[in-house]
Amino acid sequence: MDILDPAGGTSTASRQLAPRPQALGGLVIGILDNSKPNAAALLEAVAGALRERFGTGGVRAWQKPGASTGAAPAVLDEIAGACSVTLTASAD
Amino acid sequence: MATVVLGTDEFYPLARAQALANGLPDLPVVTVPHPIGGIAEKAVALKAAPVVAQVAAALTSVAASARQIAPAALSARHSAPDDLDAFQGWIMEQGWGDGLPVVPPTAERVRRMLAGARRAPDELVALLPPRLGQATVERVAVNAVMAGALPEHLPVVLAAVEAVTDPVFNLQAVQTTTHPCSPLIIVNGPIAARLGINAAGNALGQGARANAVIGRALRLVLQNIGGARPGREDRATHGHPGKFAYCLAENEAASPWEPLSIERGFSRDDSTVTVCASEGPHNVNDHGSTTAEGILATVAGSAASVGSNNIYLGGEPLVVLGPEHAATVAAAGWSKDDFRRALWERARVPIGRFAPENLERFATIYPEGFKDAPAEALAPIARAWRDIMVIVAGGAGKHSAVIPTFGMTRSVTRRIAG
Repeated sequence: MDILDPAGGTSTASRQLAPRPQALGGLVIGILDNSKPNAAALLEAVAGALRERFGTGGVRAWQKPGASTGAAPAVLDEIAGACSVTLTASAD
Repeated sequence: MATVVLGTDEFYPLARAQALANGLPDLPVVTVPHPIGGIAEKAVALKAAPVVAQVAAALTSVAASARQIAPAALSARHSAPDDLDAFQGWIMEQGWGDGLPVVPPTAERVRRMLAGARRAPDELVALLPPRLGQATVERVAVNAVMAGALPEHLPVVLAAVEAVTDPVFNLQAVQTTTHPCSPLIIVNGPIAARLGINAAGNALGQGARANAVIGRALRLVLQNIGGARPGREDRATHGHPGKFAYCLAENEAASPWEPLSIERGFSRDDSTVTVCASEGPHNVNDHGSTTAEGILATVAGSAASVGSNNIYLGGEPLVVLGPEHAATVAAAGWSKDDFRRALWERARVPIGRFAPENLERFATIYPEGFKDAPAEALAPIARAWRDIMVIVAGGAGKHSAVIPTFGMTRSVTRRIAG
């Protein structure tokens, strides 16, 4: 028998990933903590190691207002203005 | 700006689904072994070290061929086994079942279902996260057929789908959280009796078709259209049995007070659904009390819980008063609001009962309530008395139920069309 699809389409349009820099030397790293326990610790540890091993520049950090709340567009703009690359976290 | 997402391996499927829903199927997601929460910071750093080179590589190079997302075909049909027993195995293999037998959504059955709602089949009701699936009237009808619903149930299901997509409900989080919550559908108004939605004995249990199939239809919509698949994007640590179906009507006839729908500005002629992202019901047994104060003490003691989301995130804990408990409370001259106020004052947890490390976390999330609070201070179960929801439901007996919610969510009431 034929049945109708229970999932259907999505309204997602493909988007381009942001261009990547050639090298990380001297670049300011942004951190967007998703407010889950120890997410900041993980992100900071990775950012610190990037500085040691790849010579990245400063680190600036932001935090989402809550684990289940998205960052405000203005905050995302601020991060984009202040940093060259960003590390963020998903889920637990 | 070049971005890399970090997470734990357990939650990788959810991170991938998020990236896809945002149109970025190749967004780099780098994982460390789960968990990072609840372990020492030093242990987190040890987990971070091995992925640093991978993060650096992902920040400086993009996958050679960024994939395009194939547009999903509309009204796609699938060839399924004719044999009903074989069909049950097949539908589970597709990831579209909930474990119980499913009614095959043939074009003919879906056509009959659509007759229950006077709406265009291709009308978009909502976009459902995390997949951002298009919940058209027809697609909702497909899932309603699968759940065993009848055409007259469809308007209730559609109203519930509209309700859960109100931004204040926070469906994205409700769908993907580790917390055991599921939208409880509370039906008010004349439609409840017309459809036989049980408001009385065993209202939250088995035995009434309308409760079962309406609740189940919403779950299948959320799982299939929304793409919250158990163990994948739906990250519930345990879930709860109400995730199969969670629907009841308020027992308006047995309530001494105005029903929830009237409280929320609807009329007696309106039929409504209210959805709240709810845990399973926890029983409140009080066979002894003959006073409002007595019932209050027992409900408050059951609701004041150290491990609930509402205690630190806020939101709207729900109390389902059994009609006999409600009558005892009302006999003292208490209005529903009197009971809510008194419950808010009474249902509190002494700060000293929380684990110190957990308290530290609460203090960063809700400093007003927990930062530097002395051990004898009391934490209420909601931020304000009006946040405590009270309905009357159930049959004979000296029981009520407390139902904590997800916290970062608000209940939503919508009128049922037709």
